[in-house]
Amino acid sequence: MGFEAFTFILMSGILLGGLYALMATGLAVVWTTLGVFNFAHGAFVTLGAYMAWQVSQSVAGGFGFLIAVATSVTVMFCLGFVLHFALIKPFERNQNVVLLAVVSTLAAASIIENAVLLNWGPRDKQIAPPITSKIDFFGASINTFDFVILGIALFALFGLALFLRRTTVGRTLRAAAQNREAAELMGLNVPKLFAITLGLSAATAALAGVFVGSLRFINPTFGADPLMKSLIVVILGGVARFTSPIYAAFVVGIVESFSAYFLGLYWSPALLFAMMIAVLLIKPEGLFGHRSKTL
Amino acid sequence: MTEPLLELRGLSGGYPPVSVFRDVSLSVKQGEHVGLFGPNGHGKTTLLKTIAGVLDPWDGGIYFEGKRLNAVGKMQARVSHNLNYDLFRKRRINALDVVDAGLIYVMQGNLLFPEMTVEEVLDIAPRAARNRPGVAQMRRQIHDLFPRLRERWTSKIRYLSGGERQMVSIAVGLLAMPRLLMLDEPTLGLSPKLRIELSEAVRNIRETGVPLIIVDQNVEFLTSLVDRLILFDHGTITREIPAENMPKHAELMDMMFGGAH
Repeated sequence: MGFEAFTFILMSGILLGGLYALMATGLAVVWTTLGVFNFAHGAFVTLGAYMAWQVSQSVAGGFGFLIAVATSVTVMFCLGFVLHFALIKPFERNQNVVLLAVVSTLAAASIIENAVLLNWGPRDKQIAPPITSKIDFFGASINTFDFVILGIALFALFGLALFLRRTTVGRTLRAAAQNREAAELMGLNVPKLFAITLGLSAATAALAGVFVGSLRFINPTFGADPLMKSLIVVILGGVARFTSPIYAAFVVGIVESFSAYFLGLYWSPALLFAMMIAVLLIKPEGLFGHRSKTL
Repeated sequence: MTEPLLELRGLSGGYPPVSVFRDVSLSVKQGEHVGLFGPNGHGKTTLLKTIAGVLDPWDGGIYFEGKRLNAVGKMQARVSHNLNYDLFRKRRINALDVVDAGLIYVMQGNLLFPEMTVEEVLDIAPRAARNRPGVAQMRRQIHDLFPRLRERWTSKIRYLSGGERQMVSIAVGLLAMPRLLMLDEPTLGLSPKLRIELSEAVRNIRETGVPLIIVDQNVEFLTSLVDRLILFDHGTITREIPAENMPKHAELMDMMFGGAH
């Protein structure tokens, strides 16, 4: 393997890692705040991608791509906000809330996937990338758009972290996540804050969906793969800090692209799952975690 | 005779199906400081949590400045185990309404938000004040009240000692600009030195004229602060003692447990 190929594989791994970081953070934020696992996350990615595709069909050019991203992210935020009241809030006083949320979010995933199938059909689609030039990066020829995607993904994550740490609304969100009872006694509207959390998670999922949709082809069931990868990332990295799943996402991305080159595409999920099982056996709280889940 | 600030009429509650307190009637006037004393496990905290809206009251009424805070009528027993019953059953009291009214509860041994810094917690605390005036002044007051917190300004709550955590909890309660503040065992599990420091702070809060309901196990501390002592035993109020004949620790033990103690 030459240096050029190495750079190329590494860069594609880092790009994958950026996308996984975006998806996994959304999942991790919901897990640490609402205390439930959102199995509809993959469907959010799909729906976000399709919505962006729809908009980019009617508005052409690079500007159209921006409008598509903005529309998709906004609509998905609102949808996430509403879905909290439909999927999780009705069960929050039940002691089996975690299990019930698994069922309700799986149901939502199925409904969304089939709605997408009904509306847009089963054929593969691609969102036209707004930038098609390539640049020379340490000998490897890499799409400029890849760097743009990586930059936007990291910027979005940085913005989310800043929102949670610095703004009052973000701080109340973290407060509701860490101690629900104390947050209520502080006069915070916890259901609304939880709904905002699911909305933010859906918005990041949509952003990731748009990027995946402009790199590869999308079809109504492609969300299952991002969901699985996010799951691996969250388990591998833990949720102790906001950054834990982000580091893990880059590990997963790089491992995936190298294993796809050396072992073949079909072996990379097996390798990732083996890694996940090893981590679960040796350090169950995650590679970058400690024994608590916080936001 | 002015209208009472807080009035409980025949309040009952608990953790279904376990009844913890029954038929509690109590009224607190404007500017009055009331102490609640009783053995552990007899429902004082459950009573306060019910008033604060964390738990649903079973029966009776909670009135704050003449306004009813909880739903009218008795709580119905669970009728079905098959339906998602919680979907149809409304909460009988809303913690947000209670906070809106200005009735603020400071939990005992409060963990608060372990991963947030003191600064962050005190930054969001005034959201409970609902535009009641005086928050800026209260901020300054808190610096004087708890000078220790200023040293720990950027530490996470997780790394604070029990006393410092208690100080943050009380500061959070004060920043809500309470019209009535309920303190649940503020000196629980503290070292004697910290206990004195905290008692001093509570005394200063009392001077500002905020009506208080204090639960504590320390009789000397409690009797020195309150205008009226209420003995709480087996889930109900057994006796009210006015300030004039505040008992000593030993006398109180006699009253509650008989001479054998």
